Amino acid sequence: MTDRPAEVHEQRILGTELLWAFGVGILVAATLSVVVFTALSRDINPPSNVERVDPKTLHLSGEFAEHNLGTTVGPDGRVTARIIATQFMFVPRCIAVPRGRPVTLRIASPDVIHGLLITGTNVNTMVVPGFVAQVHTEFTRSEDVLMPCHEYCGLGHSEMWATVQVMTDDRFKPAPDGRVSCAQR
Amino acid sequence: MNPTDRSAASEPPSEVTDDIDEAALAEVMRVTPLGAGVLAGSAVALLVLGYLAIYLLVFLPRGPVG
Repeated sequence: MTDRPAEVHEQRILGTELLWAFGVGILVAATLSVVVFTALSRDINPPSNVERVDPKTLHLSGEFAEHNLGTTVGPDGRVTARIIATQFMFVPRCIAVPRGRPVTLRIASPDVIHGLLITGTNVNTMVVPGFVAQVHTEFTRSEDVLMPCHEYCGLGHSEMWATVQVMTDDRFKPAPDGRVSCAQR
Repeated sequence: MNPTDRSAASEPPSEVTDDIDEAALAEVMRVTPLGAGVLAGSAVALLVLGYLAIYLLVFLPRGPVG
């Protein structure tokens, strides 16, 4: 007779905990639904690209040789910017991209792990030596924005940043070889 | 000082029984989980609202990435 209130009390606590667990379950499901909905309807996904590259010979030949860095417009009109992230700079220091057109950023590192983000956009990725980081995006505003390294890479980390120059179509004019450089000011 | 006070003072604090009315305790325990639920629910609701605000007002307008 004396332990009946305790039983009722424990039942009430159990009920509260189950109710809370149910609510948390709904929240977790809703959060995952938002992620899936965003991926399917807006094509917004975490950048993911497993593509190997030899960091020791990165600069000697192939896609990331010095003459091939920067922005290129291919024969099919695709815009690709190739960047090397190295201690403690991005090469090139300024990246020209068009506004309102799909752009592919391809980045590689010859030394340590770097990271980059472009301020005011969703571009944000790690750059791991031995792999090519790739991000597809579209810039919506014509402006100059900063692209700092956001992964501590050594004593000069805080000095490691580049500029992304987003140009309107009348200023984004590829040279005959398809290359585009930042406008001089 | 009355005899009760003297005995309480001679015992270590952990051994002193509180003067608690069982009925009042039961009443408090009846409503306390509701208050905890409201407090925790409000905190979680604020967190979810913050997440939704960042998602709708910052993340989506910044455009696609992948």
